[in-house]
Amino acid sequence: MVGLYIYFGVYNNRVDDIKNVSPEVKIDSGQLVSSFILNEENANSVYRNKVVEIDGTVKEINFYNNRNTVLLYGHTKYTSVLCDMQSDQIENVKKLTKGQKVKLKGICKGFLKDAILLNCVLINNDQINE
Amino acid sequence: MNKIIILILLLITITGFDTTSDQFMTRQGQVSFFSYTSVENIEAKNNQVLSIIDFAKGEIAVSMLMNAFVFKKSLMHEHFNESYIESDLYPKATFEGKIIDFEPLATGVQTKMVKGNLTIHGITKEVEIKTTIENTNGTYRLIGDFEATVKDFDIKIPPVLAPNIAKTISIQFRFEYQPYEK
Repeated sequence: MVGLYIYFGVYNNRVDDIKNVSPEVKIDSGQLVSSFILNEENANSVYRNKVVEIDGTVKEINFYNNRNTVLLYGHTKYTSVLCDMQSDQIENVKKLTKGQKVKLKGICKGFLKDAILLNCVLINNDQINE
Repeated sequence: MNKIIILILLLITITGFDTTSDQFMTRQGQVSFFSYTSVENIEAKNNQVLSIIDFAKGEIAVSMLMNAFVFKKSLMHEHFNESYIESDLYPKATFEGKIIDFEPLATGVQTKMVKGNLTIHGITKEVEIKTTIENTNGTYRLIGDFEATVKDFDIKIPPVLAPNIAKTISIQFRFEYQPYEK
């Protein structure tokens, strides 16, 4: 049932809001990066194209390319989880500070030098605001 | 006394060119592509393109996730990943090349050719791409565009959709580099 929901919610409408889609996997940002570095193929089979909920610490917030991007620390200070935030998250993203602990979810796309997640929404802040 | 000054200047010059400062990186480069036909126009953007430049060697490397291209319509995204690019089999596109006659210390804008290997859909082609390089206060911006032929990369378009997809795709890139933190 959950699978069907995710299928219709994400695959048929994947550029839309994932706020109401339940995460398939929950993981810490450091562990996510470690698992890609350890075995990228294996990590892809677990996380790629899935809605992943991440716990992590804010390393950087930037607005390059007119996007709202939050970088969370990976397993070292030189690696990260790069989260491209959904456009409606801008007000909450602006309030974030470096070093803050956050929970967010997004669609994991894979790994380059960082794990990359698109369509991300903050979870803690949503609950506060709603 | 003069010898000491020369020695100090020499030391500053040498330490200023240590290996770490030779590398610049962006993890949020932008690559867009466009397909224009009389039937429809298709446009997609990837804002998480990784690129590293090694100034000492004049080398540039680019890597991107094909499933991170964002389309206006989800159906286009689906066709692109599942039928054309087959991103499960070939998740990344890469480029590795050299910037010809690159002058890393020149400030302002310079136009250079980059020669190297472009790999898309598991097929590698040698390409030459013109780029502008802008050096402002130690950050570097590379901007350019080029064209790629769909057929060259063994991308199969079903006959029924052939009129919707251009035979030649135009690709734009924009990378803003910062000093590389390992």
